[in-house]
Amino acid sequence: MTITPTLSGGLKLQPEEEQDWLILFEIANDGDADLAQQFSELMDEDSMWEEIVQPELETEFSKQRKTIVDAVRQAQEAGEDELVIEPADADAWYGALNQARLAIEAKHQFGPRELHDLDELKDPEMRSAYFRNDFYCSVQSLLLEYVMVDES
Amino acid sequence: MNAVEAPAKKNKTRSRSKVDKPWQVVVLDDPVNLMEYVSRVLIQIFGFSKEKASVLMLAVHQQGRAIVWSGDREKGEMYVNQLHSKQLNATLEKTK
Repeated sequence: MTITPTLSGGLKLQPEEEQDWLILFEIANDGDADLAQQFSELMDEDSMWEEIVQPELETEFSKQRKTIVDAVRQAQEAGEDELVIEPADADAWYGALNQARLAIEAKHQFGPRELHDLDELKDPEMRSAYFRNDFYCSVQSLLLEYVMVDES
Repeated sequence: MNAVEAPAKKNKTRSRSKVDKPWQVVVLDDPVNLMEYVSRVLIQIFGFSKEKASVLMLAVHQQGRAIVWSGDREKGEMYVNQLHSKQLNATLEKTK
């Protein structure tokens, strides 16, 4: 897959094979629907987090995942060979990628990227998750650098 | 000549009421969120300078946690809500 910044401030993803499309669909599949609940566990009962905040966060996180699924499906069904992340959708993409990475980390505990020894990854599922996580992280970095431009 | 008594000088010192700040917003480290992203979120939510956000982000990264704000509970909950919305681990603690 090739990823390049666009002149309109977006990011163009160009899947080159079927596997690339599958990885894009995996972003939403990797995300954990219980993420909002995990945040509630950081708060005390008096905060009423489960009752008030958690449902809002669940809706927000779900919308992020749906944005990605819809965009990837639409591009694939239209037979397009590229997919552009427009600046308006960058937050949703970044959030969905983050959800996916948080869920992968919770499941496999890879830890910081630079500390991991690839030879330890014998299990195919774990290896696949590691490389997906690495890919998601790269897309996030590109989003921060080229799309979610820091204007402060 | 009638002498006019000078007005008594007002005592300019006044006791400062102690501001009660019983709650603090704490951001916790995780191995997923990118350092640049954490800094940007702190700037967005709290209006910190880049420098201050970087110092706090590094504290989170190196010490596992950083107190980023203190004040009343209601406002603290609002900030934690915003941090959770950005998928950062954060909690509200009572100041010791």
